[in-house]
Amino acid sequence: MTMLRVRDLTVRFGGVVALDAVSLDLNRGEILGLIGPNGAGKTTLFNCISGVVSPEKGTLVFDNRSLRGASPHERARRGIARTFQNLQLWGSMTVAENLAVPIDALGRRNTLGDAVGAPMSLFAERAAMERVRAILHALDLGRFADTLAGDLPAGTQRRIEIARALSMKPRLLLLDEPAAGLDARETTRLLEMLRNVRDRFHVSMLLVDHDMDLVMRVCDFVYVLDFGKLLARGKPADIRKDPKVIAAYLGEEHPDLAADDVSEQDVSMTVPAAGSSASSASPASPASSGAGPLLEVSQLAAGYGHLEVIRNINLVVRPGEVVACIGANGAGKTTTLRAISGVIRPRSGRIRFDGKDVTGRRPERIARLGLAHIPEGRGLFPRLSVDDTLKLAADSGRGVVDTAVAYEAFPRLAQRRRQAVGTLSGGEQQMVAMARALIARPRLLMVDEMSQGLAPTIVRQLFEMLGVLRQQGTAVLLVEQFVESALEVADRAYVFEHGTVGHEWTAAELKRDRKLMARSYLGSAAETAPSLAATNGNGHRVHPELLEVIAVKVPAAVKRDLEDRAEREGRTAGAIAIELLEGSKQ
Amino acid sequence: MKKGYLRRFVLAVVAFAALAWIPVGLDVGLQFDAALALVWGLCILSLVLLTGYVGQVSLCQATFAGVGAYAAGMMVSTFHAAYLIAVVVGVVAAFALGLLVGLPALRLKGITLAIVTLGIALVFDRYVFQDHIFDWFTGGSGGWQVDSATLAGIRVDSSSHLLAAYEILLALFCVVALLMVNLHESGAGRRFRAIRDSELAAATMGVNLTRYKLLAFGLSAAIAGLGGSFYPLVAGSVSPQPFWVFTSLQFAAIAVLMGVRYVPAAALGGAFMAFVPDVLTRYGHGTFLNKYSYDISYDWFQLAVGVLLVIQLILLPDGVWGDLRGRAHRTWSALRARTSRRVSVA
Repeated sequence: MTMLRVRDLTVRFGGVVALDAVSLDLNRGEILGLIGPNGAGKTTLFNCISGVVSPEKGTLVFDNRSLRGASPHERARRGIARTFQNLQLWGSMTVAENLAVPIDALGRRNTLGDAVGAPMSLFAERAAMERVRAILHALDLGRFADTLAGDLPAGTQRRIEIARALSMKPRLLLLDEPAAGLDARETTRLLEMLRNVRDRFHVSMLLVDHDMDLVMRVCDFVYVLDFGKLLARGKPADIRKDPKVIAAYLGEEHPDLAADDVSEQDVSMTVPAAGSSASSASPASPASSGAGPLLEVSQLAAGYGHLEVIRNINLVVRPGEVVACIGANGAGKTTTLRAISGVIRPRSGRIRFDGKDVTGRRPERIARLGLAHIPEGRGLFPRLSVDDTLKLAADSGRGVVDTAVAYEAFPRLAQRRRQAVGTLSGGEQQMVAMARALIARPRLLMVDEMSQGLAPTIVRQLFEMLGVLRQQGTAVLLVEQFVESALEVADRAYVFEHGTVGHEWTAAELKRDRKLMARSYLGSAAETAPSLAATNGNGHRVHPELLEVIAVKVPAAVKRDLEDRAEREGRTAGAIAIELLEGSKQ
Repeated sequence: MKKGYLRRFVLAVVAFAALAWIPVGLDVGLQFDAALALVWGLCILSLVLLTGYVGQVSLCQATFAGVGAYAAGMMVSTFHAAYLIAVVVGVVAAFALGLLVGLPALRLKGITLAIVTLGIALVFDRYVFQDHIFDWFTGGSGGWQVDSATLAGIRVDSSSHLLAAYEILLALFCVVALLMVNLHESGAGRRFRAIRDSELAAATMGVNLTRYKLLAFGLSAAIAGLGGSFYPLVAGSVSPQPFWVFTSLQFAAIAVLMGVRYVPAAALGGAFMAFVPDVLTRYGHGTFLNKYSYDISYDWFQLAVGVLLVIQLILLPDGVWGDLRGRAHRTWSALRARTSRRVSVA
């Protein structure tokens, strides 16, 4: 009954532990959700199962056979199909051809026969194309059969990727963020499709997505990963209430992490004396509402390729204010920052900075007006030394600037001025990025995921630095996963949902009412999700004991219940099943 | 499906019939160019398979052709084998080398693969084709001389029967081209194209990357080897010069110029490579308006390739054949739409 058994899976990339002894069970006919913050190891787990990455330790058993040493295509032929977070359709082939490849891979393969048009090849070809048509029809995608896959909008491409995976007759389907970048309407269609797939194709699924609504609605059971470790597992409704999960998503520090050896991470920072910094003409009081807005964004829309990621974005940052952008992954926060700093071209809308219209200007010209953008991943040059990095920034800054200010703010960097940036620790690199931005003496600093992948102690110090900046009169717009820390320094926060600004709250309001936040991250669907326990697929409730008697195949949900109980009581699931059976006889 | 195979077969026959009598009645020099065009055409066809279909880069196609040429020359000169046998040995030798070159391609892609294949081309150029250790294979500094040969009972050689060589080469070219187009439209071709578009997706959708990448390199080398093994026949001798590194680069450049994803582009490219330099040396010098003397010799050919490549990449990004074909398709469908509307109105 257990279709996929993962035991103690460990994966390391260099020094980073991507997966740390993760174990997982997937039953036949089950939809299993896998959630967790960025970098939790969800995609790595997928890569391990599909054979793209080989684990350092641990076992994978699929259908009672080990997957050790099996190459990706062998696993595919054994019934593991997957989709990709970044679309991986074969763009120059038609949709029908895309679906035919996995069908061929299962069946007859004869290159010579194909080239000369041997009867068997012709037959196989006809059979494959018939199957393609049937699958496309079943998923209501038939009208796209002869379109080039690369020409379709992203939402359709996502559904075709699922169709392609299904054309392999998989028994296990791995879905990696199928809802990423989809708007609300497309997500609804995807949801319908997933239910359709489960009912018609009799396939088990492992689903990774940041759209909690979707996960909570389709999944029978949810595993939560955080920093490569299994954090929690349970029914969707339980997961939503689990304080550990909420903490992982909202960035409440784990007590054990916070107790890290601080002396090891000794990152002292001294604040440059207010008089010495010429940048702050007047140390503005935070959020002086009398002043005109420094940054004003109205009706902004932007995206990549076919994908419109953000629309109708309206936000305002006043001089000396710290504003946080929070919301689930893929909600459009990073894209908004990129559109503001000119890295990507806005499709519509207006951006005014310091009273000037900067919509569609080149990024370096916007930067010269005093808007600094520290991108996600910091955007440093790994082979350049710290000193050279800062000098480069000084040279391209406005007028003559010297690097002393930066070293004053981050004395730690002064010790390492000759070292190549790529060899520094993550926290030090983030300091270099901040220092580089500070040298240009920006009026507005935009920081994207400043704390990503950093230890909590360093994160705290970086946030303290933001507070210092505010005192000097620099406005800050930050995108942050660690919401709690962000709210400590922020005056206001915009909550992003599905590519637009859902709400605007003051930091105080959000801190007071944690439910407001939890809803934006974890969705509200689970409250309304129907109980999936022990239904027989037609929606009729069946007594679990009865099912065990009349059929060898037990629905996944029932099995899950049995297993849960077994774990609670410390007995095997079989023992409980027998006990139930005997109970029902009496 | 069957219809597709039949249609493509008819097209190949028509292409053969149309091209077969082009060199008839031309002087020996141009007949030589025509036959040589097919040799180079086969080499470029091998790149259409490897780069156009499977997306792998190779800068050593001339090496494969050279191995085919030397192997054929050796068979004829040392072992006095029939030319048919010589061609088979040439193709097999190139196929084997192709498999070997394919091994690093399992790990590498893009620019690194280009550099590695370029290195292989350099090594063969310098240390195999021009080294005395391999005299048994290359025939020493003079190379192999092939004065007369018969292929399936027909006398084909450079001295007086170039036309026969041309017809046989053309038939072979059409057959290989037909097989390749068939492949492109069938299951195996879809797997090739899947590797080109996304290796990751191909592997996780059940395509055996090792097998199909090696197969692609082997088949591609075999096609280049087939072309090369006819070189001694057409030119009468083999020497290292036609198969040096620069020829490989030229194959790549001209394949891209003409449209690396299209089979007919290979014929265009071969003709371009064979005819243009010769025509330039023949007619490229004289006096303009009885006043200005000019001399556009072979050297100008290299320059022309470079300049044309730049122009093509800007104006015809899908290659000369690819873009013209695309335009013709669009015009045709627009015309059809217009006529059908007119009919429906009437």
